[in-house]
Amino acid sequence: MKVDLNQVPRGIIPIRMFESFPSVCKNFGVPADVRTLLLLRRGMDRGLVHTVGDLYVLFKGILVKDPTMLGPFTQAFYHYFIGVEIKPGERLSDAIERSQAFQDWLDDYIKSDERRVQMDMDELMDRFLDEVHLTSYDIKRVLDGEEILKKDDPSMKDRATGDDDANAERLLEKAADYRFTDLEELRKRMEKVMEQQMGKHSGGSHWIGHSGISPYGHGGAALGGIRVGGSGGGRMARQVFDDPQYYPVDVDANISDDNVDASLASLKGIIEHTNDLYLDIPLTVKTGVKEGGLFLPIELEKTEDKLQVILLIDNGGYSMDYYIRPVQALFKKMKTRFQHDLETYYFHNTIYKVVYDDERRSNPVPIERILNKDPNYRVFIIGDAAMAPYELHEGSLIAWGRFTEKFKKIAWLNPVSQKHWSITWTTTLLKRLIPMYPMTPRGLEEAIQSMNKKKN
Amino acid sequence: MADKTMWTGSEHYLCDRELAQAFHMSRVLGMPLLIEGEPGTGKTELPIQFAQDLGLELFVYPVGSKSTVEQFVAKFDHVKYLRDSQIEVLNAQREEKGLHTSLSTGGRSTEVLDDYVLLGPAAKAYSSANSVLLIDEIDKAPREFPNDLLYALSHRKFVLPESGRVIEVSENDMPAIVITSNREQELPTAFKGRCIYHYIAFPDPDVMREIIAKHYPDAVGETVEKAIKVFYQLRELGLERAPSTRELLNWLKYLKGKVPQEQLKSIESLEGLGALVKTQDDVKRVMRQMTIEGGLKSGPPRYYSN
Repeated sequence: MKVDLNQVPRGIIPIRMFESFPSVCKNFGVPADVRTLLLLRRGMDRGLVHTVGDLYVLFKGILVKDPTMLGPFTQAFYHYFIGVEIKPGERLSDAIERSQAFQDWLDDYIKSDERRVQMDMDELMDRFLDEVHLTSYDIKRVLDGEEILKKDDPSMKDRATGDDDANAERLLEKAADYRFTDLEELRKRMEKVMEQQMGKHSGGSHWIGHSGISPYGHGGAALGGIRVGGSGGGRMARQVFDDPQYYPVDVDANISDDNVDASLASLKGIIEHTNDLYLDIPLTVKTGVKEGGLFLPIELEKTEDKLQVILLIDNGGYSMDYYIRPVQALFKKMKTRFQHDLETYYFHNTIYKVVYDDERRSNPVPIERILNKDPNYRVFIIGDAAMAPYELHEGSLIAWGRFTEKFKKIAWLNPVSQKHWSITWTTTLLKRLIPMYPMTPRGLEEAIQSMNKKKN
Repeated sequence: MADKTMWTGSEHYLCDRELAQAFHMSRVLGMPLLIEGEPGTGKTELPIQFAQDLGLELFVYPVGSKSTVEQFVAKFDHVKYLRDSQIEVLNAQREEKGLHTSLSTGGRSTEVLDDYVLLGPAAKAYSSANSVLLIDEIDKAPREFPNDLLYALSHRKFVLPESGRVIEVSENDMPAIVITSNREQELPTAFKGRCIYHYIAFPDPDVMREIIAKHYPDAVGETVEKAIKVFYQLRELGLERAPSTRELLNWLKYLKGKVPQEQLKSIESLEGLGALVKTQDDVKRVMRQMTIEGGLKSGPPRYYSN
C-alpha cells in the first residue's frame, strides 16, 4: 500500500499561530525572523506538516544552519511546543519527567491500558518521545510495511512488544487513519496554543495539553503496541541534549581541542591578497574585436592566497605546556587547509639574542636570521608574559622592539585570563610594546583583524 | 509535475531518516538542500543515488578553488568568437582575390551570439525539467562564489551572457538541488539562510552495520563486528585524519578476499591498516596505542599530538 503524502487535504493555517516562536528562538540564541514563519506557512500549505514531529523537522531544516545550533534549537522547541524546560547540563529525560506535559500524557497512557503500570520509566520515556517525534516519514514507513517486515527479523525482537502479531493489520489501519485525520486536529491544537500565547506571555505554551499528544483518541492509542519512531527522532533529541558538539562553543574559552574549529574560523581571516597582474584574455579579445582586430593586452589585478606565519612559543616552565599543544595542533591543522609557510621557534619567558627551532631548545637560531625575513610574515607570540622582573631587562626589550619594528603584523596571544594581566608587571610592560590578546577564538579573531588593518 | 513524494533510499543506498526528511522538505519547498558533514558520510551519494533510482537526469558541478558562477551557469566563448570573426574577414579577403574555397566556422555564425554560449551544469539542469543538480564541495570555492551562486539560484531564471537568451524553469519543474560541504570554511549566513540545512552526524555502530549490510550483504557477521569495534576505537584516538565510512568499507573489501578465519586474524594484527589510516604520523600513533591483541590501551591523553 503506497500513500502519496501530498494527497491529503490542504489546511489553511493562519500564520499568526506561531508568531511568537521566532522571538522565543532568539532568546535561546537561534536566529529566526518573520521569514521563518513564511517558510513554515509554505511548508504547511504544501502538506509537509501533519504531526508535531513534522513541525520539529521543518523548523530544524529552516533554522538550524550549523550543528552547534541544534542544541539551542531543540531546547527552544521543547520549551515552546511541549512545555519542557531543560536546565543547563540536564538530561532530556529528567527534564521531561519533571514536566506537566509528560505527567498528563502518562495519566492518559496508563489509564487507557492498566497493564502499562508495569512499564519502567525508560520505556515510558521512549514511548513519549516516539509520539512527540512521530513524523510523516515514520507513518509512511509503517504504511509501507517496513516495520512489519522488521518484526520477522529476530534481531529486532526487542523492539516489538510481543502480542501484536494478529493486530498488525489493525495497526496499519489505525496508522492510516491517523495519517488522514490529524490535520484538522492539528489545527485545533494550534488554535489552543494561540489562545494560551495570548493569555499568558511568559509561561510558554503547552502543545501537549490534557488530551495527550496523539490526535487519535487518548494518549498513544493510535500507536497501540507499535513502535513507530523506534530509532528515530526521540533518540536523536536525546543525543542532542547529551552531546556538547550540538551547542555553540565558548569563544572566550582558551583555545583547546574542543573549540579548535571556531579558532580555525578566526584564522581564515588571515588570508591575504597579492597584487600581481594577469592577462585577461576574454576582455582583450572583446576589446580587440571592437577595435577592428587591434589587440592590446589588458591586465587585471590578481588576487591570490598567500600567507606566511612565524610562531614564537614560550615553552619554558611546566605551566605553558598545557597551552602549547592545542596551539600547535591548531596551526598544524591550518596548514592542511591553507597553503602557507609556517615557522615555529621556541623561547623561555622572553627573548634575548637567540630563539630555538626545537622544543628542547638545543638548536639556537640568532634572532637576526628571523629579522631578515620578509616583513610580510605574521608573527604570533604565544606566552604568559609572566616572569621575574629582572629577566625582562633592557636587552630583551630591545630585542622585542626590533621585532615590532620589522614585523608590523605581530600579536601576542596570552593564555592567562585577561583580568590577571595587570597584576604582573612584565605582562603590563610587554603589552605596551606588543598588541596582546587572550588566547581564545575571539582573541585570535581580534588579533587577525587588527593585523589586517596594518600595511607594511 | 515533478515527483515530490518522499524518497527514502534505494537498495544500495541507506538514506538516513533525517536526511530523507530534509531532502523531501527541500524539494517540496523548492529550496536547495545544503548537506554538511565529515568526509565519507555519503553526502555526494544522495543526489547520485536519487537520480539513478528514479531515472532522472543528473548534472554535477564539482567546485574548485577557481570556480566561478560563469562556469556554473553559462559562459561566452570569446576565443571561438574571435577565431570565427577573423575567419569571416579572411574569407571576405579570399573572395576578393577570386578564391572559392573558404574556411569553415563549424556552422556557427558571428551574427548569432548564442552559438558561442557554453552552457554550464546549472543552465542545463534548468532547461531539463525535473532533473537533479549536484553542487559538490562548495566549501572549496572562493569566498564570493556562494553568494553569486545564491543570486543565480534564487531567480529560477538565467540570462545567458552576451546573447541575452533566457532559460527559465517553472516551480514545478525545478531541479532538485543538492549542495555539499566538508566545512573547510564557513559559508556566508545569507547563503545558508536560503538553503534547507542538514548536518550528517557520524553514523553510530548500529547504522554502520546497516550500511555495511547494504554494501556487502554476504560479509561474515563476526568479521563485521570486530572490524566495527576496531574502527570506532581508531576514531577515538583523535587522529589527524579520523577514518570515515568509506575507509571502513574499503578495509572490509580488502578483508573479503580472505577466508573467515584469516579475516579475524587480519583484523587483530591490523593488516591493511593503510586502507583506514592515511598519514604517516597517524600510523605511528596507531601502532603505539593499539596493542597486538587488538585492544586499546588506557584512554588517550587529552592533548596528545604528533
